[in-house]
Amino acid sequence: MLNSIMKTKLFAWVDQRTGADAIIKSQLTEYAVPKNLNYMWNFGSLALLVLVLQILTGIFLAMYYKPSAAFTSGGYTVAFDSVERIMRDVNFGWLIRYMHAVGASAFFFVVYMHIGRGLYYGSYKGPRELLWIIGVVILLIMQGAAFFGYLLPWGQMSFWGATVITNLFGALPVIGEYLQQVLRGGFAVGDPTLNRFFSLHYLFPLLLAAIVGGHVHALHVVHSNNPEGIDVHNAEEKINFHPYYTVKDAFGVGVFLLFYCYIVFFNPQMGGFFIEVDNYVPANNLQTPPHIAPVWYLTPWYTILRSFPDKLLGVVAMGASLGILFLLPFLDRSKVRSSRYRPIFRQMVVLFFVTVIILGYCGHSAPTPTLKLVGQIATAYYFAFFILLLFLPKFEKTKPLPDHI
Amino acid sequence: MKWMKVFLAAMAVPAMLFASGTAFANEGGVALKPVEVDPADQAQIRRGLTVFTEVCMGCHSAKYVTYKGLIDYPEIAITREQADELRGDKPLAAGMITDLSPEDATVSYGKVPPDLSLITSARRGGAKYVYSILTGFEHDPHGKVPDGNFNEYFPGHRIAMPDPLGWLDHDKSDEAELLQQAQDVSAFLTFISDPHQNERRHIGMFVMGFLLLLTLVLYLLKREVWKDVKH
Ligand code: HEC
Repeated sequence: MLNSIMKTKLFAWVDQRTGADAIIKSQLTEYAVPKNLNYMWNFGSLALLVLVLQILTGIFLAMYYKPSAAFTSGGYTVAFDSVERIMRDVNFGWLIRYMHAVGASAFFFVVYMHIGRGLYYGSYKGPRELLWIIGVVILLIMQGAAFFGYLLPWGQMSFWGATVITNLFGALPVIGEYLQQVLRGGFAVGDPTLNRFFSLHYLFPLLLAAIVGGHVHALHVVHSNNPEGIDVHNAEEKINFHPYYTVKDAFGVGVFLLFYCYIVFFNPQMGGFFIEVDNYVPANNLQTPPHIAPVWYLTPWYTILRSFPDKLLGVVAMGASLGILFLLPFLDRSKVRSSRYRPIFRQMVVLFFVTVIILGYCGHSAPTPTLKLVGQIATAYYFAFFILLLFLPKFEKTKPLPDHI
Repeated sequence: MKWMKVFLAAMAVPAMLFASGTAFANEGGVALKPVEVDPADQAQIRRGLTVFTEVCMGCHSAKYVTYKGLIDYPEIAITREQADELRGDKPLAAGMITDLSPEDATVSYGKVPPDLSLITSARRGGAKYVYSILTGFEHDPHGKVPDGNFNEYFPGHRIAMPDPLGWLDHDKSDEAELLQQAQDVSAFLTFISDPHQNERRHIGMFVMGFLLLLTLVLYLLKREVWKDVKH
C-alpha cells in the first residue's frame, strides 16, 4: 500500500516540497534492522502507542475537567465533581476517563518492560549511551506527569500523596523550603497547587512527545541492538523495518490492546491498584488516611525513600536511585552487551528485576518492621548492582560471542 | 526462548504478591459477610432504591444521582410519575440530597453522614462492606460502646450511624426481610457508584471479540510476511 501511495502524483508533489520519499525510505522501507529481534523489542512501539492514547484521551478530559478545589456540597469540590460528571453525564466520558487512568499504568508497565529489555541485552552500551540517557529523561518526565495527574481528581490519595511528596522537597538544604512553596503555590497543598499541577500535567506530555522524537532519532542513527548483543554488519542479517517490523509491531499492538481493553472494560480499578479506593473519598485536609502510598509504578522509589531514618538522606537516596541510571553506560565497562554471554551479569540483572518488584511491593503495603527490613535489603542491592558493575569485568568470564546472528 | 522464562519468572512475583495482597484486602481484620449483588438486576436495584429513599435518605445523600437519572438509566427506569413523587418540589435535574442539614446532623450524630454516591468504590470490600455494616450492629462484648453504636465491621467498631435497619435485637422472624433490604440497598449503591458499568461490560464483549479477530489476522499477516526470513 505504501508503495502505491508513493507512486501517486499527489505524493510526488508533496515529496518535492518535503523530501518525504527520502524520509520514508531511510526511516521505514530501507531502514535496516537486525532480523533476530524477539518480542521484547515490541515494547518500544507500544510505549509510543500509549503516549498517543494518553495525549488524545487527555485532550478530551481537559474539555470537561475543572481544576478547582472550591467546595461544592457534601465535602466534594469542583474538581471532584467535574470528574464524576465525566464519569456519569458526558457521552462516553467513562470510557475516556478509564482509558486515561488505566493508560497511565499501562504506560509505566510498557516502559518498565522496555527498560528491562535494554538492561538485559545491554542496549545502553556504546554506541547507544545517549539513546539510553534520553530514555532516562523520558522516564523522569513520565513520573512527573503521572504524579501531577494523580492530584487532579482531588481525592484523599491525590491530596495526601501530593502533600507527602512535596514535603520531601522541603527536606533539601537551603532551597528546600522555597522549592516546596513554589511547587505548592503556598504553604500547604491547596487550590493553587491544583492549578499549577494541571498546567504542568498538560505541559509534560508535550515535552515527552518532543523528547520521544529525539529518542527515536537517536535510535535511527545508531540502530537497534539485538538479543545477541553483537554488531551486525552483514546485509543478510538485516531486514527492512517496513514491512517486517511494522507488521510484527502491529501484532504486538493487537496483543497489548487485548490486555488493555480487558482491564478498561472489565476491571478498570484493578482492585485498587490502578485507581485507589481512597481516591473515591474527597480530599480532606483534616483527615489523614491510615495508609498513604503512591500508585504502584512509583512505589519502588518510595520504598528507597522510606528505607532511611533521616528524611534528607532518604530524599537524596531516592534521587540517586534514579540519577544513577544516567551513569549506567559508564559504570558497566564490559565489552560484551547481551546477558546471554555474561553469566554473572545475567544473574545480577535478573535479581535486580526481582529487587525492583520487591521494592514496589514494600512501598505499596502498610509499613511493618519486617517489610521495612526487606525494603532496606532490597535498597542495598539496588545500589550494589550498579557499584558491582564497575568491578564485574575483572572477574566475569564472558562466553565467546558468535560471529553473526 | 530464554527471555520468555525470565519474563514469566519476573511476572510470577507480582502475581503472587497480588494474590497474597488481596487475601488481606479487608484491613479491619474481620472477614466481611459475603453477599450476591447484581448491578444489572433491575428488580433488585429498584427495591434497593426504595430502601434508600425511605431509610437512608433520611440522613445520607447521593448527590451524583439525579432524579432524571432514575428515569434514564435502563437499570432503574422508573416512571416520570414515580420520580415526581420522590423528588417533591426539587427539580428533576437535582441530585438526591437529604433534607437533613449538615448542622443538624452534627448536633444529632456528631458527624455528617457521608454521601453514598460512590460508597462501594470508596471502601475496600464494596457491596460486602455496606452489607456487613448494615447487618453488623451487635452488643459490645466489652460493654464499652453503647448499644446501637457498636458495629463489628466498622473500623474502630464505634459507628456514629444509629442502626438504620433495626438489626440489633431483631426478631428471628424479621431476619430474612432485613437481610433482603441490606442486600437490595447494597446492590443499588453498587450500581450508582458506576452507573455505566453494565453498558461498559456489554460494549467490552464486542471490543474483545473484535480485538481477538484483529489480533489473529495480524498474527497470520506477520507469519506470512516473515515466512522467508530465516532467524
Ligand atoms: C439516622 C441517620 C442515618 C441513617 C438513616 C442512615 N445512616 Fe448511614 N451513616 C450515618 C452516619 C451519622 C454515618 C457516619 C458514621 C461514622 O463515620 O461513624 C453513617 C455512615 C454510613 C456508612 C459509611 C461507613 C464508613 O465506612 O464510613 C455507610 C456505608 C452507611 N452509612 C450506609 C447507610 C445505608 C445503606 C443506610 C440506609 C439503609 C443508612 N446508612 C442510613 C447516619 C445514618
